[in-house]
Amino acid sequence: MHKILIIGNPNVGKSTLFNSLTKSSEHTGNFHGVTVEEKHKIVNFQNEEYDFYDLPGMYSLNSFSFEEEVARKFALDMKADRIVLIDANSIRKNLYLCLQFLEMNIDFKILINNYDYFKKYKNNLDIEKLSNKLNVCCEIINAKKIKIKDFALKNSEKSYHFVNFQKNSLIFDSYLSKYIKIIKNKYNLDEKTIIYALNGIFDNLSEEQINYIQSFYPELILDRYNYIDNILKDSVSIQKNFVYGLNRADRIILKPIVATLGFLFCFFASVYLIFFLIGPKISEGLNLIIYFIFINPFMNFLYSVTSNVWLIEFFSNGVFSSILTVISFLPQILLLFIFLTILEDSGLVSRMAYVFDDFLSIFGLNGKAIYIMLLGLGCNTVSSLATRNMNEKNLRIKTILLNPYISCIARLPIYVIIASAFFGERAYFVVTGLYLLGLFVALIVGFVLNKTILKSNSNTLLLEFPPLRAIDFKHMLVVGRDNAIDTAKRIFFIVLGVGVIVWVLSHTAFDLSYTAIITDSILFYFADKISFLFAPIGLDSAGIVSGLIVGIMAKELLVSTFSISNNVTTISGLISSICVATNVIHFNTASAVSFLVFTLLYCPCVSNLAVIKKEIGRFWMWFAVISQFSIAYLLSFVIYNTFIHNIFYSLIVLFAIVLILISIIYIIKKIRTKKIVCMFCSKNCNKKNNK
Amino acid sequence: MSLSEIKLNAPAVVKEINIIDKKIKFRLMELGLNVGTKILVKNRSIMKRTLLVVFNSSCFTLKENLARDIVVNYA
Repeated sequence: MHKILIIGNPNVGKSTLFNSLTKSSEHTGNFHGVTVEEKHKIVNFQNEEYDFYDLPGMYSLNSFSFEEEVARKFALDMKADRIVLIDANSIRKNLYLCLQFLEMNIDFKILINNYDYFKKYKNNLDIEKLSNKLNVCCEIINAKKIKIKDFALKNSEKSYHFVNFQKNSLIFDSYLSKYIKIIKNKYNLDEKTIIYALNGIFDNLSEEQINYIQSFYPELILDRYNYIDNILKDSVSIQKNFVYGLNRADRIILKPIVATLGFLFCFFASVYLIFFLIGPKISEGLNLIIYFIFINPFMNFLYSVTSNVWLIEFFSNGVFSSILTVISFLPQILLLFIFLTILEDSGLVSRMAYVFDDFLSIFGLNGKAIYIMLLGLGCNTVSSLATRNMNEKNLRIKTILLNPYISCIARLPIYVIIASAFFGERAYFVVTGLYLLGLFVALIVGFVLNKTILKSNSNTLLLEFPPLRAIDFKHMLVVGRDNAIDTAKRIFFIVLGVGVIVWVLSHTAFDLSYTAIITDSILFYFADKISFLFAPIGLDSAGIVSGLIVGIMAKELLVSTFSISNNVTTISGLISSICVATNVIHFNTASAVSFLVFTLLYCPCVSNLAVIKKEIGRFWMWFAVISQFSIAYLLSFVIYNTFIHNIFYSLIVLFAIVLILISIIYIIKKIRTKKIVCMFCSKNCNKKNNK
Repeated sequence: MSLSEIKLNAPAVVKEINIIDKKIKFRLMELGLNVGTKILVKNRSIMKRTLLVVFNSSCFTLKENLARDIVVNYA
């Protein structure tokens, strides 16, 4: 089997190349840091197996962030053929990484991408001269169009390994030997250790040795660039004022007011189009198709073979209602992912990161958080992982903790249903308001964390601008389709699996017999026992509480649990059923708004909690659970009581609760301070504060 | 003169890089920002905390606090 690593700077097209060679549809984007962990896929071609690895981007072996650390580990430790993919338009910068591999005596082959753009601006590249000068096999490719057939053919014709490889003699003679000599004289280290240390890999070196070696870095970096310039002098000619990354449109796009208003307009217009204008119509059509093609024939068949009430109820209300109500939202999900793909592929995300960086820095975040938030609109779990491209620990923890406040796609069905039921044509404003409330709470929490326990030591946004690109419609539809399929799978396995369990628990009495009266079931018995906790926020119904508990597993389950509880199979049926007071799940306007706010904020889903624990630890996972629940509860309390009584009543009660909490914390602190023995007199004299 | 004081679209040449954080300093140098590099400030954000700078034929965002530690002369 051929193991092949695809290595390179960020945003040169590594994932695009990986997708072309393996016929995959891994996430790509015109933005730095889309790939944050390695991906691999085995492809068979003419009885040969090729195992391709797509690595996160790295500018140099001297790693700067977690994703670069992952890429470096694979690039250096894995026994495999290496492809370094470089962008013709930033060849000078890209060759820096190649030079480091050459210094470390690591074999690789260079593939040059984006050559068409390079040629368009009258730049030239002599590939033969470049190969000879570097002593590495170089080839021009189009990462979007290359196929495994072409790749395998080229692989058999040309070796991956160096053409007439000699032990880096050119680089040694040019600059490397002088550093090795000086360091050897001082510390008597072996040559390999010194070369590795000069490339940022310090194994078994003391702090003093590391500092000494790092003191050569500025000069060494200059030497490397001089060496690259020498190579490029004869093989590449670049137009004098050529700048890769900026377009004419940037003159308008980067104006702060244009950018802010443009983004807000695009976002709200998209939400309106997707969820209220186009989406529902496609949903209705999809619902009808599924009903007439699958459900109706199946139920007719079931009626013809059995008259068992339990079985008929199980399929009609347990299985189909849980799937149908959620699957109706697939068209909206598909459209939202297309919207996000347009932002990512066009290069607008980098522009947004730059434009919103100032605003976000007030709240202790940086521009990269915009990308995380946009991903969070799709799925909070995926966006938590994407924080790996952040180089500062506190900034990363903060961003992960704020991420669940952004409304993911799973919460949308419940927003749309409840908002449509109680606010009719104004539902759009309610849903948009919920998005804004989530963002607002996230920013306030970020601000508080930044001022208290998660201060950012440095706020650096070092981001390379990609050029604006035309949208590839084929790619856009493929990404939309794949995301919709992923969501459908998730719905099928989670919603169907848990939905069936919910149905069984809500239709089984304590003597394990079937019951059509849901209030007699096991699930409602337990939910009823804790429902008093939710009375202050207007959600003391056992049905709603059981929905909230199940919703922690996955937010999609809220809708399916409600439809099972109210015995409905369609969205319109669910919308009208939740307004009827005799149904198991019912709301009034006050409790509906309180529920929407609580659902928006109350807890990350289980998969996101698992990622939070994996990425930043158990402590922060529990911090996320407790802080989110408290914030959700307090906000819902204020909103519910404002509806029921008035704003002054809710604020006075809230103020009293906060005052009691502060008093308790103050008393606890006082008691703990008194218990600390003074370091001067060994008594509880409280002098320690004066020191 | 520091990079943060330079006029928009006025080419400058880097004279010194006085960034204290070694990690950031080395990363900027690895990206091609060295002594003698031509640099151009293309844009400033609304609160002027972030700059958009061009060097090594590419365009990067750079925080103002880092730009303040880069000494430049007009080309």
